[in-house]
Amino acid sequence: MIKLFSLKQQKKDEEGSARAGGSQKKASAAQLRITKDLNELNLPKTCSTEFPDPDDLLNFKLIICPDEGFYRGGRFVFSFKVGPNYPHEPPKVKCETAVYHPNIDLEGNVCLNILREDWKPVLTVNSIVYGLQYLFLEPNPEDPLNKEAADELQSNRRLFEQHVQRAMRGGYVGASYFERCLK
Amino acid sequence: MQQAMKVTVKSWTGVATWRWIANDDNCGICRMPFDSCCPDCKLPGDDCPLVWGACSHCFHIHCIVKWLHSQPQQQCPMCRQDWKFNNK
Repeated sequence: MIKLFSLKQQKKDEEGSARAGGSQKKASAAQLRITKDLNELNLPKTCSTEFPDPDDLLNFKLIICPDEGFYRGGRFVFSFKVGPNYPHEPPKVKCETAVYHPNIDLEGNVCLNILREDWKPVLTVNSIVYGLQYLFLEPNPEDPLNKEAADELQSNRRLFEQHVQRAMRGGYVGASYFERCLK
Repeated sequence: MQQAMKVTVKSWTGVATWRWIANDDNCGICRMPFDSCCPDCKLPGDDCPLVWGACSHCFHIHCIVKWLHSQPQQQCPMCRQDWKFNNK
């Protein structure tokens, strides 16, 4: 027992000196956790990740290429910013590709429950990937960020589908211009 | 005539192992093993204990308290039932 306590003291002393020296760099809680998330990441075949800075695991991109549904054939890039409070706060996720979608506005804000009110720290990057993939398979007009797209999906599915296609090929839907994003 | 060998113990060192008995290996919040400590602590054991909720879910105490403090409603992050500490 005495040994244990002296070990503790020794450890404390080491920390003290390390801090004084300022040489030792320790991974933050968020870094530790995101490393685990990424190691256990099990991406569906429609998704891939990109790390612009391989040493920075807190900022990365997710690319989704849906293989079915309204958005089949498109290529959509999302940026993930993992804050120092992760996993107590969700990552900030933005859609960098302009898309005509009821739950994604033209600034790239994404309306997905687990990115806001329903986030829990037991969720992982994988949960968000599946949530985002689901948005492309089942756009949800009940909770819209792009109200025009949501109303159209509810009132005229065929017209909505045409507009999604037009936006993905590159062109105007209403007054908004969409950059081509077909693969 | 047989002679018994005599052994004199001059000194000895006791060694023990311990582990938490939980229904999972890792804390669902920080994902560190329960037998390790939460990311804010240095050494596992009594300084970084586990706590159980009435719902039977288990976390590092520092992880769950930090989560509960950030929430308007105190719910288990695993099952969303109201969080009550299980004082077993």
